[in-house]
Amino acid sequence: MAAEYLKFVDVTKCDGCRACMVACKNWNDLPPEYEEFQGSIQSHEQLTAHTWNVLTFNEQETTNGGFEWLFRHQSCLHCVQAGCEKACPEDAISHTKFGSVVVDADKCVGCGYCVQGCQFNVISLATYKDKRGKEYRKAQKCTLCTDRLEQGLQPACVTACHTDCLIYDEREAVLSEANSRLLQVKDRFPNANIYNPQGIKGTTTVYLLADKPSVYGLPENPKVALSQVVWKDYAQPIGKAMLGVTTMAVIGAVISNSIAKVKNGDKGVDHHE
Amino acid sequence: MSKGNPKMVKRFSKPIIFVHWLNAAAFFVLYISALPMYTEYFDWLYAVFGGPAGARLVHRIAAIFFVLPVVIILLADPKGFFFWIKQIMSWKKHDFAFFKEFPKEFFGGHANIPKQDFYNAGEKVNSILTILTAAMLICSGFVMWFPQFFPQAAVMWAYPIHNIGLGLSAAVVIGHIYLSVGHPGSKASLRGMTKGDVPEEYAKAHHGRWYDELKDAEKKDDKRIG
Repeated sequence: MAAEYLKFVDVTKCDGCRACMVACKNWNDLPPEYEEFQGSIQSHEQLTAHTWNVLTFNEQETTNGGFEWLFRHQSCLHCVQAGCEKACPEDAISHTKFGSVVVDADKCVGCGYCVQGCQFNVISLATYKDKRGKEYRKAQKCTLCTDRLEQGLQPACVTACHTDCLIYDEREAVLSEANSRLLQVKDRFPNANIYNPQGIKGTTTVYLLADKPSVYGLPENPKVALSQVVWKDYAQPIGKAMLGVTTMAVIGAVISNSIAKVKNGDKGVDHHE
Repeated sequence: MSKGNPKMVKRFSKPIIFVHWLNAAAFFVLYISALPMYTEYFDWLYAVFGGPAGARLVHRIAAIFFVLPVVIILLADPKGFFFWIKQIMSWKKHDFAFFKEFPKEFFGGHANIPKQDFYNAGEKVNSILTILTAAMLICSGFVMWFPQFFPQAAVMWAYPIHNIGLGLSAAVVIGHIYLSVGHPGSKASLRGMTKGDVPEEYAKAHHGRWYDELKDAEKKDDKRIG
């Protein structure tokens, strides 16, 4: 289900202005979240249900003893094989034609299985109150601005980016740009790499990272977890079938016992009594 | 029973009967409150519980009552409990022979089942599967209830384990309920789990080895008294 368009994040071009964060809050009408100072210039510790996009500031020592920040525009990667989608028991999470992974709020029951299923700690539960004051939960995360894509616009974060760190373009253009950028930055960042993990058939957000994925807290080689395959591809369908089989056996027994009863009169079946 | 008042023999103690039905009721509530999540055909059940949040709350309350019977029985009738465990772990020739004949009985034919213990081989299988699936459900359910205390991989494994536990246990329960209330040959056994006694004739026919033990004990008692 490869998307025709990809979002490209060239972290080596990022200057840490955080305009993408503001644009995201603005467009998606997300409330501000105030957090304690964590001893870093990074504004928020991690993604939440109301903060879909956080610019992370990794503090690093350069080879010649200097100091530098590694920036990363962190938001949903929109995996082609998405852990959240696999974990959802309500079929509430799906891929759009743009390759974006979206939550259907009407179907979501707030169980939180997707939170555990995501290997990138992206999706989380938001708590709301209904008119009667009763609390309910819905899974929330970046939608890749699917509503904007439908109107022929680019994601809000991409529009706001002033260094072209964020690009939304045709698949081939993005991948060739990524390759040529990789060659250009190799001198400065010898560990630079393109992050488009093939263990999950790639992502709709492709990164050019300045260092190893683990430095950014990303899994080096994410895969669809075996537990999820066992659960969704085997246990669930077999369990449903098994319930059907036992029910059929019981119905069969009811029928054959009543036939035996009719045949043999009253004596036939209760042969023990 | 057409012969008036048959002679009865004691089968299950009051605490065993109580925890059996407590466990059964909790299982039923757990099953119903989870069903809309398990399959989309029962999504309408969410409304019954006042939304998914209500279903989750009911499921968690019932979970406590599902675990409680083990604690209660260990305090109230440990002897009966350990007798059960010991019995279901004992597998002899007559237990294995049970399964060759059982299908005939199940579908209403005439079967030559060898003399069985206090728990027949079918009840032993039911007990073992019940314990096994309950352990799967309780352990994985605990992890799913408190995911913040467990690594992500453990939580992700808890889901399939809970799922398999549900499929297995529901299948076991369907068979168990049918054999106790639906099947004509073993209907009398239900009384053992309600009133606590069963007709002597039933004990003789379904649990021959237990019946023989009862008779031996009676003889010994008679001798002692006489």
